[in-house]
Amino acid sequence: MYSLDIREYAKLFTAYTELRAQENRNVRITFVRGNNTHNSRSSTSGISARVYSNGSWGFASNPEMTENSVKLAIKAATDNATFLDSRERKGKGPLPVATASSVNDYSTRKPRLGQKELLEFARELDNHIALKYPDLASRITGINCLDMEKTLLTSDGSYSHSMVPRSIIYVVLSLVKDGVPTELSDVYGGFGQFEDVFTSPSQLFDGIETQYEHLVRKSQGVFPDAGLRTCVLDAELAGILAHEAIGHTTEADIVMSGSVAAGKVGEEVASPLVTLIDFANLFGDETCPVPIYVDDEGTKAEDAVIIENGILKGYMHNKESARHLGVLPTGNARAYQFSDEPLIRMRNTAILPGTDTLNDIIASIDDGYYLIRPSNGQADSTSEFMFGVTLGYEIKNGKIGKAIRDTTISGVAFDMLKTVTMVSPDMKWLSSGMCGKKQPIPVGMGGPAIKCKVTIGGR
Amino acid sequence: MQDPKKVAQYGLDALLEAGADKAECSLTLTDKHELNVELGEFALMRTTFDTQVGLTAIRDNKKGSTSINKSDNDSLDRAAAGVLDIAAASSPDDAYDIAEAQPPAVFSSGSDSPDVDRMHSRMKEMLESIKVRYPKLVLREAYLDFTRTRNYFLNSNGVDFVTNKGVYTLVAMFSSRDGEKVSSFNYTAFSLRDLERDLLSCGSLDMLMQQSTEQTNTRPLEGKFIGDIIITPDCLGDMLHFLSYSIGDGPMISGTSIYKDKLNEQIASPLLTMHSRPVSDEICNGYFVTPDGYAAQNSTILQDGVLKTFLLSLYGSRKTGLDRAVTSGGAFVVDPGDTPFEEMVKSVKKGVLLARFSGGSPSDNGDISGVAKNSYLIEDGEIRYPISESMISGNVADMLIDVTAISRERVDYGFSIYPWVAVSGVTISGK
Repeated sequence: MYSLDIREYAKLFTAYTELRAQENRNVRITFVRGNNTHNSRSSTSGISARVYSNGSWGFASNPEMTENSVKLAIKAATDNATFLDSRERKGKGPLPVATASSVNDYSTRKPRLGQKELLEFARELDNHIALKYPDLASRITGINCLDMEKTLLTSDGSYSHSMVPRSIIYVVLSLVKDGVPTELSDVYGGFGQFEDVFTSPSQLFDGIETQYEHLVRKSQGVFPDAGLRTCVLDAELAGILAHEAIGHTTEADIVMSGSVAAGKVGEEVASPLVTLIDFANLFGDETCPVPIYVDDEGTKAEDAVIIENGILKGYMHNKESARHLGVLPTGNARAYQFSDEPLIRMRNTAILPGTDTLNDIIASIDDGYYLIRPSNGQADSTSEFMFGVTLGYEIKNGKIGKAIRDTTISGVAFDMLKTVTMVSPDMKWLSSGMCGKKQPIPVGMGGPAIKCKVTIGGR
Repeated sequence: MQDPKKVAQYGLDALLEAGADKAECSLTLTDKHELNVELGEFALMRTTFDTQVGLTAIRDNKKGSTSINKSDNDSLDRAAAGVLDIAAASSPDDAYDIAEAQPPAVFSSGSDSPDVDRMHSRMKEMLESIKVRYPKLVLREAYLDFTRTRNYFLNSNGVDFVTNKGVYTLVAMFSSRDGEKVSSFNYTAFSLRDLERDLLSCGSLDMLMQQSTEQTNTRPLEGKFIGDIIITPDCLGDMLHFLSYSIGDGPMISGTSIYKDKLNEQIASPLLTMHSRPVSDEICNGYFVTPDGYAAQNSTILQDGVLKTFLLSLYGSRKTGLDRAVTSGGAFVVDPGDTPFEEMVKSVKKGVLLARFSGGSPSDNGDISGVAKNSYLIEDGEIRYPISESMISGNVADMLIDVTAISRERVDYGFSIYPWVAVSGVTISGK
């Protein structure tokens, strides 16, 4: 936690300026087959300034959090903006004025655990896995915690302070059957500091038991039959679909670079069963995995409705894209480190729940797949997407069949979403995701289970 | 900041005074100057300064580490005390250790400072060339940076390395638009010692941009077949990552690596020879010191398809009882073959020129499937048309064995050098 109060430096602003103080704090603990391979804490903090001049931006950062470093950062950012403006002469007008203020500190009120207690927690969990599942060829148990604390002051008059934490435990289990290794990962936890998310290792035992049972079935799994198939994408896959396949194509900078979503506002791009929103901070009364109240340009963060009942309604914006397209900024400008400039990023992107139960959805499929857990994902400006799938099952005659081995699904989102015929009422958030776009950034993804047609890889 | 060497020495001394049996301190000062382009226009100029101090202590065979970006004495004292607390909480492990003494050395590469005017003029020249040569191309984002790093690595065994490195790196992401038709995006990156050459002629940038403008008209492949793929240099790194990961600490310590018993055995086609050359003249963005404090050396990983080394760190080596690698990986250079690229294409009856692979990470045994992006159908020895909605499935370990040709031509990215590689027997499926 830093003590510098940046509010007194507004007098140094000579143009549109954002001044940010930020500290990211990480804890990383890993046990590989009982060996404590990582045991570290780190923190990265500093000051940054971004200055706008007639369409050109200057940015500078400094790791010291002192009055002098604030002055140096503002001056260097101003010089950089001036350098570019002097050569480019873009002559673009002022940015939209957006003034907001908020203080959102999600620090735990419980006594903080030290590294020793966190290590003990991970060790106890790891010992439990080793004793309970002796046939495992290997296991990885790890804790990753990230606290992002930011203070922002803009020349428009916005001021915000936030501390948004995330705490996850990841467990990787491996079996070797007939010389062939099979692995299954799962992630537990999410938004909040460790003390607010986890109470004791036993809290995870049921989840790990389920993970192990899936792994055993997966080790006996079959390759999917490659091709276009009817599938149920469970909540985690629906969430990553919302983020990767639709979310990225509707980030305004991607739209302006010619994504397939450009010019399609008001058009039907999905089944009427599909509504997709990038939530700023709340889903109903529930705090989203990555709550943003004021973005890193000082704009109040609003929910961005992307698709409503199958119709494309809008995009996610920062100030510059909003000005370009003549709409209001949505508060999607976010930076990862103190030394990073804000980019248009998603926050908590989700497909909204429907009314068909998961059992009814599965029962409606004669020959298809029930896909449960994603690994990585990527999408294109064409909305063609790909997700790795690490856990799934065949569906035969309306019933769950054999597990399948690791595979990949793909499709063109704006075509595939038109094939959605059933949506379940339950909603699950995936709150361990990191999105990559020049910088990494924590994001939330959510959804129910959906029935659709998608191309699956296999043999 | 005071003399950086003295800061690093202060950090090391603080660890020892706090009670460490063995300790290391790595101080890295980074200055980055970056010009950003968005949608084909200059958008941002960015200057960042950062300090990273990595502190590691071992006491009673227990190890702790921390990293901070402050270098004043108070911060170092607090961090050093914290590291000992972290170490005290860990489990003892005989495999924890630090690098043994080596002759002190100062390593240098590249310039000390950027030529900002040249950066701007080279970027402007690139933007103008793109407008003329590829009018349909949308340069979504590109950034050219000059990064200067100064690293001071000291440990309590007497290791004393100083590294000064300056390198330019260009990253570009782009797509093409022709009316309503949009191509897949593509991207590439390369590093340069200087800005003597125009940027469009470096790495694979020009080739990929030309391909991008062709890719607004794609066709899905029909059906499923077993065919050949020619993996482009931009895609080859993804495939080789499976090998470098599998022979590294994680899978080797956990025992899940399929290569764990394969040292000096044939694990790939005899056509494939691959090196890690972090200190080679041909690699401008390599490294001189490994993360565990050894002077890095070049190493051959695959010699004619035979696995010559694992990529184990000091810890991985002590944990597995196998030799420590003299490199920490990366800076990969694959030897050229003797087949011209055109001849490779002519030898393909039906297959895909795989230019980008968008897929899930390979499983532990190498199974992989994903979408062939920015790729082309090859039929009867000719590149026919760009494809979409087409998937590749197979096993990376099998692919390494099933290499049938390696191109004479290679692409130099500054951080790696790769040829085109032809592989047979891959499952290719379309609609």
